Amino acid sequence: MEPRDLQVLAALEVGLPLVPDPYGEIGRKLGMSGDEVLERVQTLRDAGIIRRFRARINQRLLGITANALVAWHCNGQAAEQAGAILSAFPGVTHCYERQPVPGRWDYTLYTVHHGFSREEVQEEVRMIADRAGLHEYVVLFSTDEFKRVPNVRIRENGGGIG
Amino acid sequence: MNAPPQTDALDIRILDALQQEIPLVARPWEDLAGRLGVPESVLLERLERLRHAGILRGISPIIESRPLGLTAATLVALPVPGKRIREVAALISEYPEVSHNFRRDHHYSLWFTLSAKDTRSLHAVLEEILTRTGFSDTDILNLPTIRKIKIDVRFPLTGKQNGGIDGTA
Repeated sequence: MEPRDLQVLAALEVGLPLVPDPYGEIGRKLGMSGDEVLERVQTLRDAGIIRRFRARINQRLLGITANALVAWHCNGQAAEQAGAILSAFPGVTHCYERQPVPGRWDYTLYTVHHGFSREEVQEEVRMIADRAGLHEYVVLFSTDEFKRVPNVRIRENGGGIG
Repeated sequence: MNAPPQTDALDIRILDALQQEIPLVARPWEDLAGRLGVPESVLLERLERLRHAGILRGISPIIESRPLGLTAATLVALPVPGKRIREVAALISEYPEVSHNFRRDHHYSLWFTLSAKDTRSLHAVLEEILTRTGFSDTDILNLPTIRKIKIDVRFPLTGKQNGGIDGTA
């Protein structure tokens, strides 16, 4: 990656400008043409450095206030297979496999769920548990969000840390 | 807390579309406006308003962590008593290595994610946090990431799961 790519990423991190020619606008600030900005973005995507563009939405302001992290015990099912089953549900926004703390915390799969109410989320988790055949799990509802930012932040730390 | 900002059916359609693919073309808003059947100027006005209301935080690419040098990550849970939660949470949130830090309804009450360039640096940051907050390895859960299986943050805003936010449910 070239320094100019990092400049483009740092500009995009703030958000695509809400004007008809957003790449031209970024280019004017960075001293590049809009075409060059767009080409660099396309190259970064083809190289797998960025995934799709997405809107970051404050879902709480839309009434989606329930958020749960669910820790799943695989009970002998292969984590990879169980993870694939959990991930297939559209309501699951994140699914990770993690190392357990043997004997103290034996959960290995983690999913994140959102909803308009705790009841709605609980209902969804029960349905998923039934279909996935995973019956040992803990639902951890969030009550306060102290920090929520992307893990890669070019402006703050150049992407990598330290 | 203030009342949630007002949104109408078009706002919800716009937010829904924004959660799908935003095309990598020179005039993405024109393209999106065409799909929604509204003039580009109307779309831009709405986007600006949603952003001003704080509903739309921004539209940006998801940057992969590995190519940028972040190869190690973990989820950590601490059993923080209620009266210490704000103090401990504030200390942890200061670390740039921390991206998410939530209080959750459980004996393990504070859950945060850490990422760093390798497992050694990750461990060093965690040790420092534990020393500063007075917890030991055996008090906490350290759950290193083995695999990201799915990350796809989209909220169903229309359809049956919509609790009526577009006024049609």
